[in-house]
Amino acid sequence: MNLPADAPFVARPATGLAAGALAVGVHALFLLLLVAGVSWQTQHPEPVMVDLWDALPQRSRPEPAPAAEPTPPPQEPEKPPQPVKVEPPPRPPVKEAPPPRPPDIALEKKKAEAQKLKQLKAMQAADEKALADAARAEAETMKKLREKELAEQKKRELLRQMEEDELMQRMVEEDAAQEVRVAKVAEARAAAGRRQAELAGMVGEYRNQISAKVRGNTRLPENLQGNPEVRCLVRLLPTGEVQSVKITRSSGNPAYDDAVVRAIQKSSPLPLPAERDARAAFVPELSFVHRPKE
Amino acid sequence: MNPAIDQDLSLLHLVLHASVPVQLVMVLLLVASLMSWWFIFLKLFALKRAQRLTDSFEREFWGGADVNAMYQRVAAERDRAGEMARIFEAGFREFMKLRRQPAQTVNVIMDGTRRAMRATFQRELDGLESHLSFLATVGSVSPYVGLFGTVWGIMIAFMGLSSVAQATLAQVAPGIAEALIATAMGLFAAIPAVVGYNRYTHDIDRLANRMESFMEEFSNILQRQITSK
Repeated sequence: MNLPADAPFVARPATGLAAGALAVGVHALFLLLLVAGVSWQTQHPEPVMVDLWDALPQRSRPEPAPAAEPTPPPQEPEKPPQPVKVEPPPRPPVKEAPPPRPPDIALEKKKAEAQKLKQLKAMQAADEKALADAARAEAETMKKLREKELAEQKKRELLRQMEEDELMQRMVEEDAAQEVRVAKVAEARAAAGRRQAELAGMVGEYRNQISAKVRGNTRLPENLQGNPEVRCLVRLLPTGEVQSVKITRSSGNPAYDDAVVRAIQKSSPLPLPAERDARAAFVPELSFVHRPKE
Repeated sequence: MNPAIDQDLSLLHLVLHASVPVQLVMVLLLVASLMSWWFIFLKLFALKRAQRLTDSFEREFWGGADVNAMYQRVAAERDRAGEMARIFEAGFREFMKLRRQPAQTVNVIMDGTRRAMRATFQRELDGLESHLSFLATVGSVSPYVGLFGTVWGIMIAFMGLSSVAQATLAQVAPGIAEALIATAMGLFAAIPAVVGYNRYTHDIDRLANRMESFMEEFSNILQRQITSK
C-alpha cells in the first residue's frame, strides 16, 4: 500500500498577510471618517444667570484704593530713663583735731582730754552724718528734677506727634475724598458705557433667542425657494406673550407668510430679557425679521 | 473643569477618559473587529479562489479531457488544484486501487470510491468553513458586549450625577457619549461579521452543492465504466 499517496490532503490555512493589512486599512478608513466626518467639538453658550431685581441695585462702587494710610511714624523707642547717676556723697572734710594742749594736771588733764576727745568724736560723727544726709537729700532732689524734666519732654514730644498725626490724617482724608470723587465720576461714565454695551449685547442675544425659537416653530411650506425675508411687527405684553402679529413686508409667498405668523404665535411667550432697559427694545412692539435659514 | 464651558468631545478624549471597564470593552471590541475583518478578507480570497478553480476544473472535466491525464496532473500538485479536483483525485485513486484487486463486485468498488470522495469532501468543506464560526460569534456577541460597556458607562455617569446638587444634562452628556462609543464599536464589529458570515455560508453551500453533484455524476461515470466492460 502506498501510504504517502494515500495520505489525505490537508489544505494549509493561508496566513493572509494581505487580508490582515486590508483589515487594518478598513479600520483606519473608518477612524478617519469618524474623526473628520463628525464634528466632535461642541460650543456651549455660556450659561446665563439672571437675577431679578425690583429696583436697580445701588451700584456698589469699588472701595477707593485703600487710602495710603500713613503708617504712623515709628514711635521713637522710649528712651530708657537715664540711670540717675548718684554721685558719691562728697567726702566730709575731716576736721583736723586741734593740736593737743600740753596737759597741766596729769589726771585732770587726762580726764578732760578723754572727755574732749569723746565729745569731739561724737561731734565728728554727728557732722559726718549730717553731711551724708544732706548729700543724699540733694541726690534725691536732683533725681526727682531730672525725672520731672524727662516726663515733661516726653509729654511735649507726644503732643507734637499727635499734632503731626492729625495733620497727616487730615491730608490723607482730603486726598482720599478727592480720589473717590474722581473715581466716582469715571466709574459713572464707565458704568454708563458698559451698561450701554451690556444692553446692546443683551438685546442682540435675545433677538437671536427669539429668532431661534420662531425658527424652530416654523413649518416651511414645501414650495419655498431661496431664503426669503419676512418683516413683521409683533405686539408683545411685558411678559413676552404675543398679542398680535402684523406683516409689514411680505416675502411674496403667502403660504410662507402665514407659516411665519403661525410660528410667532406658537412661540408665545417669547424670551425677553429680565432687565427693564433691555426689554424696552422688545416691548410693546418688536419689529421682527425672519428668514427660514440663518 | 466646568463641563458646561469647555467640553472636549473629541473621540480620543472620550475614549481615554472612559472608565476602565468601558475601556476594556472597547479594546475587546477593537480586537474582535480587527480579527473579524481579517477573516472576512481571508475568506473572501479563499472562496474566490475556490470558485475560480472549481469553474476551471468543471470546464476541463466536462470538456472531455483525458481522465487519466487529469488525475496525474492533480495528484502531482494537490495543493494548487481546487477542492473539486482533490475530490476527483481521491475518488479516482480509490477506484483504480479497487479495480486492480481481483474479484471485486461493482458495489464494493463503487462504495469504496464514494466513501473516499465523501471523506475528502468533508475535509474540504471543513477547510472552507474554518473561521466562519468566529465571524458568527463576533456578529452575535459583540453588540451585547458593546451594550454592556454602554450600560456600565451610563451607570457611572448617573452615579456621578447623584453627587451634585444641580443636575444638568451637561454633566451626564460626556459620560453617555463615551459610553455610547462602546455600542458604536460593538455594532461596527458586528455588522460586517454578520454580513460576511451570511454571505460566506451561502457561497460555501453553493460550492458544496456543486461538489456533491459532481460526486454523484463522477460515480455514475465510473460505474458505467465498470459495467460497460
